[in-house]
Amino acid sequence: MDDSVTKTPLLRLHDVVKVYDTGEVPFTALRGVDLEVETGEFVGIIGKSGSGKTTLINMITGIDHPTSGEVVIDGTPVHELNENQLARWRGRTIGVVFQFFQLLPTLTVLENVILPMDFCSMYAPKERVDRAMDLLEQVELADQANKLPAALSGGQQQRAAIARALANDPPILAADEPTGNLDSKTADAVFGLFERLVMQHKTIIMVTHDNDLAARVRRALHVADGEIAEERIHRPRHGA
Amino acid sequence: MVAPRWRKVGRDLSTHRFRTALVAVSIAIGIFAVGVVMGGREILVREFDADYAQAVAAGATYYTGPFDDEVVRRAGDRAEVSRAQGRHETTLRYRWRGSDDPATLSIVAMRDYADIAVQKILPEGDLQWPIDRGEIVLEGSALQVGEYRVGDVLEVETADGTKVPLEVVGFAHDLNAVPAQFVGAETGYVAFETLSDLEEPEYYNSLLITFEQEDISREDASRLAADIRSDVLEARGVAVFGTSVPEPGSHFLGDIFKAVSLLLLALGVLSLALSGFLVVNTVSAIMAQQVRQIGIMKALGGRTGQLTRMYLVTVAAYGALAVVLGLPSAALAGRYFTEFAADILNFNVTSYVPPAWVTVLEVSVGLVVPLLAAIIPIRMGSRMSVVRALNSTGMSAPSFGHGLGDRLLGLVRGLPRPVALSIRNTFLRKGRLLLTLATLTLAAAVVMSVVSVQGSINRTIADLEEWWNYDAQVVLGQTADSAMVEREVVQVSGVTAVESWSGHPVAYTRADGSENQSMSLFGLPYDTTFVRPRLVAGRWLQAGDTDAVVINSDVVKDEPAIALGQRFALTVAGEERSWRVVGVIKGQLSGAVIYADRDSLGDLLGDQGVNRVLLRTELHMDDAQQAAMEAAEQALDEAGYQVVSTRTQSGLSQTISEQLGILVTFLVIMAVLLAAVGVIGLTGSMTLNVLESTREIGVMRAIGAQHRSIYQIFMSEGLVVGVMSWGLGAVLSYPMSWLLTGALADSTQIPLTYEFSWPGVAGTFVVIALVSAVASVLPASRASRVSVRDAIAYE
Repeated sequence: MDDSVTKTPLLRLHDVVKVYDTGEVPFTALRGVDLEVETGEFVGIIGKSGSGKTTLINMITGIDHPTSGEVVIDGTPVHELNENQLARWRGRTIGVVFQFFQLLPTLTVLENVILPMDFCSMYAPKERVDRAMDLLEQVELADQANKLPAALSGGQQQRAAIARALANDPPILAADEPTGNLDSKTADAVFGLFERLVMQHKTIIMVTHDNDLAARVRRALHVADGEIAEERIHRPRHGA
Repeated sequence: MVAPRWRKVGRDLSTHRFRTALVAVSIAIGIFAVGVVMGGREILVREFDADYAQAVAAGATYYTGPFDDEVVRRAGDRAEVSRAQGRHETTLRYRWRGSDDPATLSIVAMRDYADIAVQKILPEGDLQWPIDRGEIVLEGSALQVGEYRVGDVLEVETADGTKVPLEVVGFAHDLNAVPAQFVGAETGYVAFETLSDLEEPEYYNSLLITFEQEDISREDASRLAADIRSDVLEARGVAVFGTSVPEPGSHFLGDIFKAVSLLLLALGVLSLALSGFLVVNTVSAIMAQQVRQIGIMKALGGRTGQLTRMYLVTVAAYGALAVVLGLPSAALAGRYFTEFAADILNFNVTSYVPPAWVTVLEVSVGLVVPLLAAIIPIRMGSRMSVVRALNSTGMSAPSFGHGLGDRLLGLVRGLPRPVALSIRNTFLRKGRLLLTLATLTLAAAVVMSVVSVQGSINRTIADLEEWWNYDAQVVLGQTADSAMVEREVVQVSGVTAVESWSGHPVAYTRADGSENQSMSLFGLPYDTTFVRPRLVAGRWLQAGDTDAVVINSDVVKDEPAIALGQRFALTVAGEERSWRVVGVIKGQLSGAVIYADRDSLGDLLGDQGVNRVLLRTELHMDDAQQAAMEAAEQALDEAGYQVVSTRTQSGLSQTISEQLGILVTFLVIMAVLLAAVGVIGLTGSMTLNVLESTREIGVMRAIGAQHRSIYQIFMSEGLVVGVMSWGLGAVLSYPMSWLLTGALADSTQIPLTYEFSWPGVAGTFVVIALVSAVASVLPASRASRVSVRDAIAYE
């Protein structure tokens, strides 16, 4: 990774606060978080359950709105977008990977991958199948393209979900516990896939509670009580 | 390649076949109900009107002494008269296929059946006019009461007891003939030459006319009829015994027809509303199941508009499927329904095709109503924020424990834990509960109202039976000495008491000169024990009453000028006399009747003769009534009296009950349909509750709940909703049944005695409990099968 190439941060969070109204006592999930991420970074967000790490990644993906503060991604003030604008922006800018894969059960693997292109009108309809097949090749699932998700193993489903996240060639991939539901061997394979994507200049932000995986990312943010309590920069083990 | 989102729509429909079928059937029930009800109504009205227009109903009918074609021509020459027709009518008894049980036959004789000016008679099947001597053509409604066939021979008994065979040569349609099933007498048409065989004189005894002015009022028609009677008939020495002037343009069964039509309209609107509720509930259920997927699609870039379109297309597909199911089934059922109604009301249907707007309405119910109903749940679902959609287990965020009602429920102690949980779960999703309750409550209220309407009909008939303190009645063709006929009948085995009455047609002249000739005057002993009058005002007849009469409530309704304490003039046997109203009694479904003391009336008229004999039997049972009546008829016959008609009270009760039962049948059909909609609504709602409670089920299973406990919780929840609907429905059914009974009474002109049916309420409780149990079985069994692993995985 060549840090000197990027002058302005791809992603910037400034004084982001998130308060949930849970009834009688409001719960503050994020307390004035500041964060900058450059293009091509592999960022791990680590923390205990309830620390605010999922809330933080939801602020980045626009899945949730900050109570106050700013979220600017690739020059777009995400905190100012409405739900509809967010959907279109997210579809083109961020690929989201979930812990439980969340493939649509009634669509084949191939159709799941084409779906974001369809929603965001990206690529000519004729190109979409070829592109989806290319992506499935990359995640080594081309031979499973016409199967329904239920016929795939957990690891295969997560790889299909990653292919889907890459459908619109977004600069950023946001993954919430992507290996949380996988055995260690499969988790390792998925992580390897992320590392290869970073090498292709994708920016990856991944929430995890797996300390071993956290140790393998370039930059690890430790979240506790709604704040980034600690930041560690690791030397990459696989030459980036 | 079809875009994946549209493939998803297709797959969602094909993968969840049971759900797709359930939704399509739910909507199809709405289409079916609207199609059958509205389509049936429109076809019936259209065909009835066409048949009525073709039949050329009489504007006035005179029942007279003999007259000839010259009188008919004179009547037709009047400027106010467009057509005139003379015919001979008589009533005789006959036996058929060797039956010992004689029946009544209304015989009509005309000179030329192919050229009838008024009250046309149309040949059916292969029948060709003319009818030859010795032949008879039966009115088609005869087939409703007996299996008559061409070639059958009817043995008709003449006034002097001679038996004349008449061969049935075919059937004809006469819309203006009273259908056999309504009066228990068939109508038959014979050639004029046959009259002499029947010992009837070959002349006309009824004149039928139509008026030139098409939109004539009944008052004007009555006045004109009176003018023509004096100028044309009486001026030529033709005695007029009675004149009938019906409401212009109105068929005599029009009131029942209007009632059926009104009921159908009301139930059609109800069906439409209920299917709307059902669709909202069902679409909400689908959206609840799709919330997580909506979150995922939004996370992948799906916008609100795109998702809204996807789900609207889904709903439109359900609607299209429902239209495919509903349209032909409604057309088929509508055809059966129309045939059924047309048979009962005795009119011909030439086309079963409903008007185009009904088809448009059906398609709208199938496509537009679901889309309208789905807009709110679809908007709610597709506008939901991604984070909420991903974390949600359904559309409605359960909220329990904040409201006063919730806290009160929380205070209820002493219930078994699963029951307490079921009751509280019921109130967890209040919006859905409200919708389900609305559907089921309405269905329950309609069912209970129908039972109450039936109860009111039964009550009315019971009132009638209370009035009749006799078992059978025999009507004679001529007047006879009271003591002699009573002596003949009292000797009959099984007869315990006999009384004889005199009956007279009367005419009442209103202040404006118009006449009412549809009232009857009965002379009966003032101290009779054969009827038990229920006084509305004033008193019953007493000894010494000479010009006193008691009227029934139908007289008051028809002629408001005749009131208690008033004097009024009646023309009886051609002479006008003044009478004093001393009492008003409740009507007995026999129209406007005036009662006077028999002997006093005989003195006034100078004729003490009677023409009807009433008898009481030992056992009061149907068979005993019938046997005694037949024996009495035979005894009178043998003594030389001409019997023109007979009836047992149980037979009459049954006929009235059957007539009103037609309306109840329509109501029951609709109630069953609405109940089906209710069951489907509850099933959908319960399925949704189970789905949204998956996590709770997992937790309960994890802490030791067995299959049975989970099953019981959801079964109880369904029962709680059912019982609540029953309670609310019972409250609603009171005003609903009152209004329905009133509407029926108004439209049929039958004064029904309203009675709220408590047994109906109790019976409905049992039905609703069963229905709720049936509706909850599938969801409850599904809940009990949820594994802990699946439940916990269902975030």
